Amino acid sequence: MSSIIKKIALSGIAIFLLMQLYQPERNLDYVRVSPLHFFKTFSVPAKVQGILKTSCFDCHSNNTNYPWYSYVQPVRMLMDSHINEGKENLNFSEFGTYSKRKQRTKLDRMIKQIKSDEMPLASYTILHKNAILSNENKALLLKWIEKKSDSISANN
Amino acid sequence: MKNLIKMKKIILSTVLMAIVVVGCNQKNKQEESVNPEATENTSQLYSCPMHPEVTGKQGEECSKCGMELTEPVAQTEAVSEEVKTEKVAATPFSATVDATVNDYLKVKNALVKDDSNGAAAAAKVLLATFNAANTTSIDAKLKKEYIDIADDAKEHAEHIADNSGKIAHQREHFALLSRDMNDMIKTFGTNKKLYQDYCPMYDQGKSGYWISESKEIKNPYYGSEMLTCGGMVKEL
Repeated sequence: MSSIIKKIALSGIAIFLLMQLYQPERNLDYVRVSPLHFFKTFSVPAKVQGILKTSCFDCHSNNTNYPWYSYVQPVRMLMDSHINEGKENLNFSEFGTYSKRKQRTKLDRMIKQIKSDEMPLASYTILHKNAILSNENKALLLKWIEKKSDSISANN
Repeated sequence: MKNLIKMKKIILSTVLMAIVVVGCNQKNKQEESVNPEATENTSQLYSCPMHPEVTGKQGEECSKCGMELTEPVAQTEAVSEEVKTEKVAATPFSATVDATVNDYLKVKNALVKDDSNGAAAAAKVLLATFNAANTTSIDAKLKKEYIDIADDAKEHAEHIADNSGKIAHQREHFALLSRDMNDMIKTFGTNKKLYQDYCPMYDQGKSGYWISESKEIKNPYYGSEMLTCGGMVKEL
């Protein structure tokens, strides 16, 4: 009986160790910031930039700030799938490629998602305490996005 | 002793198995990396992400903005264009707009009835209609406008389709979808008699517009909660 348990445990360990060999390319731009980045599309105040960087960019840009456990599989695969989904919906690094219409939509969606506390995701902030939006930061961020969104609407 | 040999065998076999698994994965990767080369060989053209009219080989830069040409240009379209033109004449573009509007109205009517699942199903149909839309007959200038609108609308349709059960979320996207539909009707026209309505309660009066096929107000943002809230803005 105990030999079966041992077998299972050992093969489990072997698979876990072999999984570690799979280390795909990381979501990093190595400071080659695209001319189509959000920060180049709009002039964003430094404080807002800081909030976006800590609370949003890990999943919504081409530059993720990876924690140490990102080197451990299968955590990494889970993380990558989140990042891919995040970037598909909104990628700050490629914001300039969006049409004016889409930019306006995205700003609108940001406001709604932040207001309703759906973003940043609870499953993310549980491990990234610094990404939690304080009431003060949330208000600051919302105020800026709303102003930007209104100015775009007025132009159309 | 016997046990030890057995154990060794097991460890060996799991390691072998894992190597095979990893090996298979790598094969897939190789295939993936071979594919783009194959397409390159058939002189695949790429266009600038900002200026779709600028095309060239992969890695070249856009003559207008200097960005790398990264968007693959579908060449099959050019080949089959002649075949398509016949069909286009039979189904002018306004018919496509009408079809999209029809599907949009079904989403709207489901939301009026607070039917989240119905809205999701209708949005799925709308998405399919968008994807099937034939844009070859549109004037080149308006084409970009159409693609912008359709891309945005498709995204909202997708969100409505994927969020059955979350009607508040669906309604948020419906508001943005309504904006797109309104612009589309404004730009391309429709054969249908339509009305634009507005609910001042929704989203602090910012986005509560919708398009309706009847004069009677039936509010898709609140449904049974405030069915007749709102008023007509204009006839389309």
